[in-house]
Amino acid sequence: MHDVAHEVIQFIDMNSTTVLFLFIVGFIGGLVSGFIGSGGAFVLTPGMMSLGVPGAVAVASNMCHKFPKAMVGAYKRFKYGQVDLKLGLVMAASAGVGVQVGIKIQEFILSRWGQAGSNLYVSLSFVVILVLVGGYVFYDAWKISRAGVREPVSALARWLQSIHLPPMVHFKTADVIISLWFTIPIGFATGMLAATIAVGGFIGVPGMIYIVGASSLVASATELVIAFVMGFAGSIKWALNGMIDIRLTLIILAGSLLGVQLGAIGTTYVKEHMIKIVMGTIMLIVAVSRGLAIPKYLTELGVITMSSSTLSLLMTASFITMCLALGIGALIILGAMWRTKRAEPPAVEYAVE
Amino acid sequence: MEKYDQKEQTAKEKEPGLSLQGAPETGLGSRENRKILVVAREPGFSEAVMDYAVNLAERLGYDLIAMNVGPEAGTAGIFNSPYRRFLQEKFKKQAKAAARIIEAKVRGKGLAFDHVVRFGDLGQAIEDLNHQKRRIEFVLNASEMSEAEMAAGVTLPVFTIKGDQGERMMAQEPQRNYQLVAKTAGLGLATAALYAAVFLNSGSVMKYFTRGGWYAALPIATVFVFSFVHGAFAHHVWEVLGIRAPKKTVQPRPVATKRPARRQRPRPRLRLNV
Repeated sequence: MHDVAHEVIQFIDMNSTTVLFLFIVGFIGGLVSGFIGSGGAFVLTPGMMSLGVPGAVAVASNMCHKFPKAMVGAYKRFKYGQVDLKLGLVMAASAGVGVQVGIKIQEFILSRWGQAGSNLYVSLSFVVILVLVGGYVFYDAWKISRAGVREPVSALARWLQSIHLPPMVHFKTADVIISLWFTIPIGFATGMLAATIAVGGFIGVPGMIYIVGASSLVASATELVIAFVMGFAGSIKWALNGMIDIRLTLIILAGSLLGVQLGAIGTTYVKEHMIKIVMGTIMLIVAVSRGLAIPKYLTELGVITMSSSTLSLLMTASFITMCLALGIGALIILGAMWRTKRAEPPAVEYAVE
Repeated sequence: MEKYDQKEQTAKEKEPGLSLQGAPETGLGSRENRKILVVAREPGFSEAVMDYAVNLAERLGYDLIAMNVGPEAGTAGIFNSPYRRFLQEKFKKQAKAAARIIEAKVRGKGLAFDHVVRFGDLGQAIEDLNHQKRRIEFVLNASEMSEAEMAAGVTLPVFTIKGDQGERMMAQEPQRNYQLVAKTAGLGLATAALYAAVFLNSGSVMKYFTRGGWYAALPIATVFVFSFVHGAFAHHVWEVLGIRAPKKTVQPRPVATKRPARRQRPRPRLRLNV
């Protein structure tokens, strides 16, 4: 199996630009994922691809950095009492199945249509899911912030909770009693998406908020548990194929472990709907970014023809937009943290005198 | 009343005969003021505790004794190691630094202040001190020990000051920061060493780590090790920079899941008294 992989993949040479880029993106990505439960990967995967890393290696190296990052973040947020471990494990178990299915699809596409096909599949999944889910999350966040109320539980979640379909499960931290049959599909979808674009959280977190009925604080914290479990499983699978570039993984990890802790601390500072705002904003901008990259892959597959100058312009635009998404997300988080910290200085401040 | 420092006091304790001899000592005895004892098991007092104790002593016109009780080092075997003795010395130093802060607060208020450092059981230390120093009226408990626990061995009234323990440990702050910085630097070095180990050998690392099969354990184990060491480093970096969660628990309950509480209203029943 791994012989095939060796023929296809090529590991890039590292230089200072690559290292700096990965470290910074790792840090900002960590910050965002510590805050909204997932993220970073959606920028890192295409980011690495734009540095010349093949799609599958990018996804593999990314996933291998994701699970230790999620572990650290989950531990931190567990200490803040935000993690629903049971919900996380139920989701993770079903997500584990989803990951396996997702990897199978990836492998199939890679062998059938090669690198360009794999890239196109990843990009298309990005655009479709991010526009649909991100659009709704953003709309909801905007509605809450305008009304200035605490976020309510969605009508769909209330309806599903009212259906008595055994086995019913009580998730204590999330404070939800819901049938297992409604939880498993969300986990499965999360896993499948994670194996494809390495960001399962874009389905998992909104799923837990709008379908299960957890608060966005609990949902985003619990997502880190899921990310750990399935990231771990996924990484083993990729590692068996020898696709993990440990150098990339470790450099991203250097930044993201710093970021994820800051993001986790950030959730204790800000209002809850900020999580949705950050998530929705990032998802929509990233969708635009990946949309701009699609013509290139289509041209590579010979579906459409475009001049190479137009394509490179589109790729540059895509790259800038993507960095913008992450930057804006990080700025919203840091800005919100800064405002709250100034408004109510924590006890530590007057201890220093 | 004049201040007397700890050295003087311990000198007197060592030579009890001395105090019995001279007439001035008995004179001092008659002027013996009533005292408040404030105790902590940490080598310092929180800002709130210090202020409260000083203000209370001033209002009541009592003297103030502060006592820090550190953990027992033990007398035998590993419990009497040089490291433990070093820790005790450090505890003493920190406690004295804390005492100086209280002294500064007391200054100019016409109160006498004394500071004592002991090791071992808190209740026992209070009891011993009570025998040594006369007229301790009550104890302000600034340690995390509950009153019930403490009252077991103490024959004085104990009042507990409940505050954000640890968060406002002002007297300890400089020392703690120093420790924190040292720990952070140590973890930083460890992290740097790990990175150097991988990147200086990146050729062979890449060769073995991408072989697949059983070699898959290598990258997985590596990221675990890195995440423990570097993760701890990252945690300390934010601690040093003073960025911590302001609220202890942030767990708001979602609105719609609030179910109406089941009311236990007794149903009317028909009873027949035959």
